[in-house]
Parts: sequence; C-alpha cells; structure tokens
Amino acid sequence: MRDYWLSKLCFDLLEPARAREYRQDREAVLKRYPLKPEVRAAVLDDDVAFLARLINPYLLRFYFSAVGMPDADFIARLRAADPNPRPAARRG
Amino acid sequence: MAELVGIYAASHGPLIARDWHRLSDALKGRLSAAYGELGRRLSASAAEVIVGLAPDHWTNFFLDNLPALCIGIGEEHGGPPEPYLRDFTPKALTGDPELGRHILETALTSEFEPALSYRLRLDHGLCLPLSRMKLPRMPRIVPILINELEPPMLSYRRCFAWGGLLRRAIASYAKPARVAILATGGLSHSIGEPTMGEIDEDFDRRCLDALARGEESELIDLLERGAGRAGNGAHEIRNWAVAHAAAGGRGFELLDYLPAPEVYVGCAYAAWRLA
Repeated sequence: MRDYWLSKLCFDLLEPARAREYRQDREAVLKRYPLKPEVRAAVLDDDVAFLARLINPYLLRFYFSAVGMPDADFIARLRAADPNPRPAARRG
Repeated sequence: MAELVGIYAASHGPLIARDWHRLSDALKGRLSAAYGELGRRLSASAAEVIVGLAPDHWTNFFLDNLPALCIGIGEEHGGPPEPYLRDFTPKALTGDPELGRHILETALTSEFEPALSYRLRLDHGLCLPLSRMKLPRMPRIVPILINELEPPMLSYRRCFAWGGLLRRAIASYAKPARVAILATGGLSHSIGEPTMGEIDEDFDRRCLDALARGEESELIDLLERGAGRAGNGAHEIRNWAVAHAAAGGRGFELLDYLPAPEVYVGCAYAAWRLA
C-alpha cells in the first residue's frame, strides 16, 4: 500500500519551483497536505527508513534529492535500514 | 506501406546527463561511442518516425491515474522537465497522430486496451538517449509509455505480445513511412532501494545473451524470474522485451555493455536484426 498524501507531496516537489519553496519553508508547504502525524514527523526528521515503507522508491529518491540530501547519505540510510542486506554485487 | 527500418535499445540513466562532468573520461568515451553509434545507425536508416518505448518517471502519471500502457497520438509532445536536460532541443517534439492512432486502433481491435494521450511530456527516459545520439534531424515520435515504476505491471509475456502487435500495426499502416523503434531503460539498477548503486552484472549478461540468441521462451522465463531481483530499475527491460518481439525475435547485435556504478546502471546498447 502507498501513503497517498506523502506520495503527493513527493510528486509535487518534482516541480523545481515547488522544491525551492519547500527547502525555504517546509512547515508552510506541509500544511497543504493532510499527512498523518507520524508521517509528518518522519518527514521533518528526514527519516528515510520510515518513509521508505510508505511510498514508491523513485518518489522517495526524488524527494530526498529535492531536499538536498547527497546520494551517498541517502543510500547509507537506506542500507542501514535494510532488514535483509545481501552481499554487494558492484557498488558505486 | 510503412516499413520497419530499425529497432534499437539504449539505457537512459539520468546521471549520464546530470553528472556528466563528474564521470571518468573512460566512461564518458564509451557512453558517447555507444549513443553515437546508435545515432549513426538511426540516421542511416532514414527513419521518419520513431516509436519510442519508455517508462514514465512520474512525469505524466501519478497514483491518481496510472495506465499500464499509454500511446501518444498527439501532434506534439512536450520536452523533458528535468533541469539537467534544460538544453534539450527541440522544446516540443513533433508527433505522428496518424501512425499513433493506427497503432492504438490496431491494439483495440486485437484485445489490447491501451490508454491514449494527445500530449505527453517526454522525460529523460526518451529524451536522454535522443539527445546523446546527436541526431542531425529529429524524426516524428510516437511515444508508448509503459508503467515500469509502480507495481503491478504488465507481465513480460504480455510485453512480448505487445511487441508482436506493434510489428503487425506498423506492417499494416497504409501510408508510406520509414519507422524505427527505440526502446530505452534498464538493465539492472535500483532507485530508492537499499541496493541503489549496485549492478547485477551476472543477470545483465544472461539477459543480453538470451536477447542475442533470440529465444523467446528462455527470455520470458529469465525475465519473469530474475528481473525483479535485479533492482526496481530492471523493470524497464519490459521495453527491450517489446522491441525484441517487434523484431520477430531474431536476436540482436550488442553495441556495448557497461556495468557503471558511477551512474547506478548496467548500461546496454543494442540493435536488433530485422527480418
């Protein structure tokens, strides 16, 4: 299942102007989305592991790219949260 | 009558454009050579129309309305919205409404049920390869966008059926037109998953080997069992499956394969043998 409003937030931030606005004032933008309290808290905490369970992985990646998290940091958080890590094949 | 003059495939990893300046000279050289060779072949084919097979990266569709497959039948399609493709030209791509509509109608009378759009926005999925191919003249384009991001998706068996349908539709188009097919995406890669940055080179090479030999049942089995484990980006191999079936499963020439962790993608480039 997907969290619709979290997905909608991430989808809307694909628009560069909206992403700029979000980076400047997250709270103001978040008021437009009826997020569940625990989801809103995870968004404000940049909780990659929590949010990863709720949305499409591409939208998750777009979101954290839009907020300026470096890929290396994003990937490290994903791997730290992985309950079933597998041996790396070829890692970047 | 229309003529199928070429069937090609290329990866489209966005970092190939966004991070181009950071890539090693060796990688840039091979990527440029692969896209350049595809561009040379496509130009030599004198294709007037490209049927472009690609995923939609949340550009046109969202959870509100997410077709399994959508055919662009408009006179014009929008260029890429991604900031790293801001230099892409033309800003709008000329469509081919008559051929698009013919493919759509052929599908609907053959028990396929695609969605339609009179104006799609074409993201890096199609525009990155098209820009890197450096075509002297941009052919008209009939985009076919397949949902390859959000499960559930078309089965690989159904993708092969779509390829056969596409072949029949082009062959039955009454107007003279030189038509090429360009499939983009894949091979193995992960986006937004813990395996992001990993490439399943073994899967990629088995896949390429099966595509080169053209054995459909082996390919379907390999893709149905293995693609889901090669990263969520590997779902894009559906476009290769459609192209393979459209070529009649006669195998292809692999132009290059680069397992490139720098761009997170097992990058492959190929041209199919035509009947």
